[in-house]
Amino acid sequence: MAVPTEYYLVLSAGLFCIGLAGILTRKNALMFLMSVELMLNAANINFVAFSLQWGNLTGQTFALFTMALAAAEVAVGIGIILVLYRNFGDVDVTDAAGMRW
Amino acid sequence: MAGTTPFAFQFAPAIAALPFVSFLIALAFGDRMPKGGAFAGILATAGSLLASLWVFVTVSGGSAYVQDIHTWTILDAGNALGDINLHFGLLLDPLSAMMLVIVSLIALLVHVFSLGYMNDEGETGLPRYYAGLGLFTFSMLSFVMADNLLMAFMFFELVGLCSFLLIGFWFREDGPPSAAKKAFLVTRFGDYFFLIGVVGIIATFGTSRFAVAGDAAAAAFPVEAAKVLGVTEGSATAVMPAGMDPQLWFTILGLLVLGGVVGKSAQFPLHTWLPDAMEGPTPVSALIHAATMVAAGVFLVARMYGFYLLSPTALGIIALVGGFTALFAATMGVVKREIKQVLAYSTISQYGYMMLALGAGGYVAATFHLMTHAFFKALLFLGAGSVIIAMHHNEDMWDMGGLKDKMPVTYWTFLFGSLALAGIVPFSGFWSKDEVLYEALIHGLGTAGTQGTLLLVAYAFGLLAVVFTGFYTFRMVFLTFHGEPRSDTARDPHGVRWNVKGPLVVLGALAATAGFVNMVPVDKLLGGAGIDFLHAWLDGPLEATSVHYYTDGSGSLLYEAAAIKGATPLGEIGTVLVSAAVSLALALFGSLLAYRLYAVPEPVEHTEKLGAAKDVLYNNYYQDEFQVFLAERVTMPLAKAADRFDQGVIDGAVNGVSSVSLFSGRRIKRVQTGLVTNYALLLTLGFLVLVIAMAVTGGWF
Repeated sequence: MAVPTEYYLVLSAGLFCIGLAGILTRKNALMFLMSVELMLNAANINFVAFSLQWGNLTGQTFALFTMALAAAEVAVGIGIILVLYRNFGDVDVTDAAGMRW
Repeated sequence: MAGTTPFAFQFAPAIAALPFVSFLIALAFGDRMPKGGAFAGILATAGSLLASLWVFVTVSGGSAYVQDIHTWTILDAGNALGDINLHFGLLLDPLSAMMLVIVSLIALLVHVFSLGYMNDEGETGLPRYYAGLGLFTFSMLSFVMADNLLMAFMFFELVGLCSFLLIGFWFREDGPPSAAKKAFLVTRFGDYFFLIGVVGIIATFGTSRFAVAGDAAAAAFPVEAAKVLGVTEGSATAVMPAGMDPQLWFTILGLLVLGGVVGKSAQFPLHTWLPDAMEGPTPVSALIHAATMVAAGVFLVARMYGFYLLSPTALGIIALVGGFTALFAATMGVVKREIKQVLAYSTISQYGYMMLALGAGGYVAATFHLMTHAFFKALLFLGAGSVIIAMHHNEDMWDMGGLKDKMPVTYWTFLFGSLALAGIVPFSGFWSKDEVLYEALIHGLGTAGTQGTLLLVAYAFGLLAVVFTGFYTFRMVFLTFHGEPRSDTARDPHGVRWNVKGPLVVLGALAATAGFVNMVPVDKLLGGAGIDFLHAWLDGPLEATSVHYYTDGSGSLLYEAAAIKGATPLGEIGTVLVSAAVSLALALFGSLLAYRLYAVPEPVEHTEKLGAAKDVLYNNYYQDEFQVFLAERVTMPLAKAADRFDQGVIDGAVNGVSSVSLFSGRRIKRVQTGLVTNYALLLTLGFLVLVIAMAVTGGWF
C-alpha cells in the first residue's frame, strides 16, 4: 500500500473546495462550468480512493459513469451558455436573474 | 294480521292520492280546463269521501289496519335499539277513519263552495287556487293516515306550506303575503320543537309508530313508554339519555311535540297567526279552521294520547293552555268588527276547549268536539263567505244588518251553526262542549293535589268562556242578519247560487244533528242506555289506541299513569245534569245579553262603553306588538351579537390565518433572488449547518 487513503481524501476535499469557491465567487458562466467539473472530479477521486481501499471495483465503475455524466452535463451547460450569450450579449450569470418572484 | 286484509284498507292510499292527482292536474292543465280545474278537485275529493266512508264502515265492522307502505331507510342505532326503520305507513283505526271522513267531506264542500266564491266572482289564478286546495287536502289526509310520527311531521309541514300558499293567494295586495309569512313563521317556530321531539322519540324508542297491529313484532312508542314506566307489563326496548328519569324525559319529549301542536292549533302564545290568516279566501279559511291545518294539532295529541297520558305534567300544561286560550280568545272575539275576525277568534277558543278536554283526560270529549266543531265551523265560515259575496267583499258587520230576509238559506244555516257554536241545546256544539266541561269538572274534583287544582282552574276558564262565546256569536248573528240595513250594499245584496247554498245546507243539517251521536247527559239519565255511540265506536279494535286503554276504568292509563280520577259529588246523574245546566245557562245568558244589546233595529257599538278595555281587546292584548317587541328587542340584539361573534371571532380566526400566511409569504419569497450563486451559497450553508448539527449531536467534539 503505497499511499494511505487519507491523502486522497485531503486532495479530493481541496479540489472540491476550489470548485465551490469558484461557483460562489465567479460571475463568468464558463468559469462556473469549470468549477462544477472540478467538484465532480473531486467526487471521482473519492470513488477511486475508496475502491482501492476496499479492493472493490464498484467505485471505479461509478467513476466512469460520473465522467460520462459530466460530459453530458457539459454539453447541456455549453448549450445554456450559448443561449445566455445570445440573449444577454455576455456570459455573466448575474445578468440572468429574471426567474424569481 | 290474521285473515285477509279488507279491500277498503288496500284501497286506502287512494284516499290521499286522489287529491294529489287533482293537484297535479290543476297545476298542469288547470288553465285549459273549464272552471280553472275545479271539477278535477271536486271529483277527487268526492272519490276520497267515498273511499273514506268505505274505510269508516270497514272500521266500524271491527277491523283496523297498520301497514308499512314504503321504507326509505333502515338505520343501525348502534345500541340496544338495533335497526331503526324510517317509513311511510298507514294506521286506520276509528280515530283516523273519523277524521278522514270529516276532512274529505269538508274538502269536497269547500271545493263546491269555491265555484261560487271564486269562479262566479271572476277571480284570476284559479288553477293555482285549486292546485293549492288539492295539495292541502292531500297533505291533511296523509297526515291523518300516518302510522308514525316522522311521516306525520312531514305532512304536518306540508300542511303548513299549503296554508302559506293559500293564505297568500292574493299576493298582489299588501295584507295576504304578510299574513301568509306570519302564519308560516309562527307555526314553524312551534314545529322546530316538534322536530326535536320527533328525533328524541326515535332516538329513545327506535321507532315512532303510534300503534302496531296485535301480533306484529314491531314496537310502538306509546306502548314501550308505558312499559318503561311499569304501567303495563312486559320488557321495553328503550334507551334513556344517561342519568335521566324516564318520567321526566317523557314529559320533555311530550312538551317538545306539543310545541308543534300549539303552533298549528293556534294555542296561546302562538295563536297570533290565525286571525291574520283571514286575509286568505274565505273557503280556504273554512278548510284551514274546520278540517285541516288547525285541526292537525289537536288531532296529533289525540293520535299519540297514550304517550301524553304517561306524563301528568304535560297533561296539566295542555289543560291549562287549552282552558286559558278558550277564554283569552273568546274575550277578543267580543269586540271585533269583521265577521271573519269573530270567527277566527272563536276557532282559537274552540280548539282551546279541545286541548282542555285532552288535558283533562276527556279523549272522547275532545274527539267529539273536534268533529262537531269541524261541521259547525266550516258552516259558519262558508256562511260568512256567502254573506261576503252578498256584501261585495265588505266584511265589516257594521255595514250589514237586515240580511235575514234577503238570504234566508244563509241565515237559517248560519243560525244553526251559531247555535251549535254557542252551545245551545240540542245543537251539536252543546253536546260536545258540555262533555268537555263535564270531563274537566269531574276529573278536576277527583284528582288530588296540584293536578286537580290545575284542572279546576282550566275548567273555570272554560266555563267563563262559554258566556263570551254565546255573546260574540249572537252579536255577530244579530249585527249581520237582524235590524235595519246599515249600508246600500246591505239593502241590495248580491245573490248567491246553488253552489253556495248546497254546502251550507249539508253542513247546517250536520251542525244541527251531529251531536246526537254522543249524548252523554241523556245516556246517563237513561242509566247507561248505550247511546254514547261515539264513545263505543272509538273503543276500537287496536288495544293501544282504544278508549278503554286510554281513559276508561281503573286499569286505564288515565288512572294508572296520569293519576287522574273522576269524582261525581252529586252522583253520576246529578253531576252530569248540573254541569250541563250550568254551561247551558251561561251560554243562554251570553246569548240573551247579545239579544238585548244588538237585536234592535239600530244597534249601537256597546263595546265602546268598555273604554280602555275595548282598545286592549281590539288590539288583541297587544300580543302582536309584544311579539314584534320580542323579535326586535330580544332576538335581534341576540342575532347581532351572534353575527358579531361569527364575523369577529370565527371569521377573524380564519382571516387571521390567511393574512399571516400572505404576509410571511410576501417576506420569505425574497429569498428567491434569481441568482444561481445565491442558491449555491444557500445549499452550501445548509449543508454546513447539517454537518455541524450532526457533528454536535454525533459527539465529534
